[in-house]
Amino acid sequence: MTALETLFVMIATICAIGGCANIVYDEAVDEPTVSAAASVAQYSDSDGEVSGTIYFDYDQYDLSPSSISEIRQFASQVKSDSSSRVRVEGHCDERGTREYNLALGERRANAVADILVLNGVTSSRITTVSYGEERPTASGSTESSWAKNRRAIVKLL
Amino acid sequence: MKNKNIALLLSLIFFSSIIYPQLRIEITEGTKDPIRVAIVPITWELDYPAREYLHQIVSSDLESFGEFKALTPQEMLSLPQNEEEVLYRDWKLLDVDYLVVGTASQGGISKNISVNFSVIDVMRERTLRRSVSSGSANHLTALAHVMSDRIYEEINGIPGIYSTKIIYVKKDKPAKGKYHLKLADIDGQNDSVLFSSSEPLMSPDWSSDGRKLAYVSFEEGSSRIYIQELYTGSRIGLKMEEGINSSPDWSPNNKYISAVLSKDGNPDIYMFDFGTNSWEQLTDHFGIDTEPDWSPNGKKIIFTSNRSGSPQIYELTVSNRKIRRKTFEGSYNARARYTPDGRSIVFVHRREGLFHIATQDLKTGRIKILTDTNLDESPTISPNGNVIIYATKNKEENILAGISIDGKTKFILPTDLGEVREPSWSPLLKLSRANKLF
Repeated sequence: MTALETLFVMIATICAIGGCANIVYDEAVDEPTVSAAASVAQYSDSDGEVSGTIYFDYDQYDLSPSSISEIRQFASQVKSDSSSRVRVEGHCDERGTREYNLALGERRANAVADILVLNGVTSSRITTVSYGEERPTASGSTESSWAKNRRAIVKLL
Repeated sequence: MKNKNIALLLSLIFFSSIIYPQLRIEITEGTKDPIRVAIVPITWELDYPAREYLHQIVSSDLESFGEFKALTPQEMLSLPQNEEEVLYRDWKLLDVDYLVVGTASQGGISKNISVNFSVIDVMRERTLRRSVSSGSANHLTALAHVMSDRIYEEINGIPGIYSTKIIYVKKDKPAKGKYHLKLADIDGQNDSVLFSSSEPLMSPDWSSDGRKLAYVSFEEGSSRIYIQELYTGSRIGLKMEEGINSSPDWSPNNKYISAVLSKDGNPDIYMFDFGTNSWEQLTDHFGIDTEPDWSPNGKKIIFTSNRSGSPQIYELTVSNRKIRRKTFEGSYNARARYTPDGRSIVFVHRREGLFHIATQDLKTGRIKILTDTNLDESPTISPNGNVIIYATKNKEENILAGISIDGKTKFILPTDLGEVREPSWSPLLKLSRANKLF
C-alpha cells in the first residue's frame, strides 16, 4: 500500500461512514436496499466501469427472476463488445466455514456466468472467481450486513 | 513526502488510541480442581535478568490452559534451591502437589544458559525427574517453555505444548487492509510475519515435520496453493488449475497434499503428489466436497460434503476410495480435524442457528458441543490432543479463543490490532529448530 493509500484508508476509517466511503473496496455502487427475500441487482457505469451486484439468500446460489432479468440486461450491454472480458466474483457472508463458503461463492459466480452465456456472452470471455467470505463489503454480524455480503459482482474489464 | 508524513502522523494517532496492551492468555472459565504446583524462583548465578523471570514464564505456561494453579513466591513458606533443602511439611501445608526447584548457570564457549531443575512429588516425598535445559541467553522465554514442557510431561505423562507455535491469518482493520500470515507462541506472544499480501490469504496448514507451511493466496487474482519453507522463507506455487485451488492439508508423511480443485466445474477432493508433481482426483460428486484432513495414520481423509443436501462430514478410505458419512446430528457439520489419536474429530457444528465447535467419537458417533460462543470456526488441535484453539467473534472483534478437549477450561488469546483467524497449530518442535524461526 502506498503512503497516499494509507492516508486515504486512515481518513476513511476515521470518518467512518461519511461521504468518503466510496474509496473503500466494493462500495462504488450506491448503498443497495437489500432484503433477504428479494435479490436486487444494481448497475453502475460511473468512471466508465460497467458492473453490477446480484444478491443471494443465505446458503443459496439460485437467482431470483429479477436478478436474472438484471443479468440479461448486463449481457445485452456487453455482448457486442467482444474484445473485452467479463469477470464474475462470488462472495458469501461470514456464517459457516471459510472453505465451504469459498465453494458456495463459486456456485454463485457460476450461476451468474451461466445466465450471461445463455444471453449471448461468449464463455471464453468470462472469468469467474470466488472470494468466499474473505472480502466482505459490509462489516458487522447483523442480518443487514450479511445480506449485503452475499453477492456476486459482474464487471466488464 | 508530505503525504507520507501526514500518513505517518495520522497512523500514529490512529493506532496509539486503540492499541491493546500485551496480554497473556485470559482464562474465562477454569477447572474447579487444578493441580497445585510451586515453581520456586531458581538460584540465579548470573547478573541478568531478574531471577523471577523463569519462575514467571513457567508458572504462567502451566496456568495457561487451567490444568494447574501455580503459587506466587509470596505464598511460599520457604525458597529451597535444591532437593536437600525441601521441607515437605511447608508444601503439604500449602496443599502443593508438585514442586520445582533448581539453579541456573552460564558457561562454555556458547555462553548458553543451563537450568538444572528437579520435579518433586510432594505427597510421595520423592523426586520424579532431574533435568537440565539449556538454551541461548537471547531466547530465555523459549528455554522457559522447554522447562514447562518437561514439567508438564513428568506430571501428566504426555508431551507439553508450551514450545509449540501457531500460525494464523491476520487482516488489518481498514476495509482495504492487508492480509498477513503470522507466527506466534501459543500464548500469542513473540509474533512475526511470514507473508503479507493485499489479496486474501487463507487456510494455513503446517507440514507434519514443522518445516513447511501450505496456504492459499489470491495474489494472482484467484486462489492458488503455495508452499513456504519456514526456515528459509522460500515459496513456490503448486501446479494451478482453473477454478478453486484451496484447502491444503499435508499428509502425515509430507509426500502429498490433499486439497480442493474445481477444475471440472465442481469442487472435489484431490491429492497432490510431490513425487510426480501432479494432481490425482479422490472424490467425484456434483455436490460440494471440501475441507479435507488426513488421518494421523495416513489411511483416511475426512472431508465436508453437501451431497446429502446439507454440509456433513464424510470419511474416505484412500486405498479403495470408499466413502462413509460420519455426522448425522444437525444440518451443518463442517471442517473436521482428526484428534492426534485418530479416534475423534473436532469440527464446526450449527445448532439453533449458532455455530459452535463440537467433537465426535468416531466409534460411538457420540457428539459433544464444546463451545458456547457463536460464529466459531477453524478449530486446530494441540499436538498432544489436549487443547483446541479456534476463531470466533467477541463484540464484533475476530479473535482466537481456546478450550480444553474436555470442555472444562476456556480461554482467550491476546489479540493484536486487526482481525485474527484460521489458527494452525504446529507439531511438536525441537527447541534448536524452533529458535531459528525468530
